[in-house]
Amino acid sequence: MEGALEQHLDDTMKNPAIVGVLCTDAQGHNLGCRGSLSDEHGGVVSVLARQAASLTKDPTDSPTVCLESDSGNILVRTHGTITLAVHKMAS
Amino acid sequence: MGCCFTTDINQGDSVKPLIPDPSLDSTSGSEQNTGTLPSNHTDEEDQQKSILRRAALSIIDVSAVVSQGLEQREYMDRARQYSTKLEVLNRTLSQKNPVFLPSLTSQPHQVLAADLVTYSDLQQLSKIAAYAYSAISQIKVDAKEDVVVQFSI
Repeated sequence: MEGALEQHLDDTMKNPAIVGVLCTDAQGHNLGCRGSLSDEHGGVVSVLARQAASLTKDPTDSPTVCLESDSGNILVRTHGTITLAVHKMAS
Repeated sequence: MGCCFTTDINQGDSVKPLIPDPSLDSTSGSEQNTGTLPSNHTDEEDQQKSILRRAALSIIDVSAVVSQGLEQREYMDRARQYSTKLEVLNRTLSQKNPVFLPSLTSQPHQVLAADLVTYSDLQQLSKIAAYAYSAISQIKVDAKEDVVVQFSI
């Protein structure tokens, strides 16, 4: 059942600039991860996205949280009930 | 009294040496040298007193100015209060170490000056998130048979 998600994560990692991807549910439970992002990041990622969403009153507006560092950017976004984080190196 | 290389005795206080050299005295002559010792002693005392007087006039007593209005007892009480407060603060500060926040970078100005996240990156992220959501929604319970069955005995 999770084959489609696993395949999608593998396809995402094929992008040379992407070094990590993580998918969690609303409670921070890890649904799938690859590369530099792993289980332990699930909680932080989901909470960051949730807190960012509370900055706006519009429920349809899903903000993107960017953590910028000298080892690439981590972009976090919520879509529906899942939260996705992508660790991308600066190109 | 006089100063070096002159026999002028009325040069004024500005050039008068603090401790006059008796060997340079031109007017005193040999009378004082061979004179009574007690008078020499009192002269020296007078000179010392005049020196002290002059020094005291030019001294500014800072301690007298600062300690106005604060008694010794009150001062000690305050010092004790401040030291105990500092001890408490130092203890709480030392408990807060170690810091658990990771440092993202050692060169913050470089990170801040770097290019912003591009719109194409954001669009790519939205697409990945949308695909992942649709993949997750394909996870559903596939009921093949009844969970509860009747045992026929």
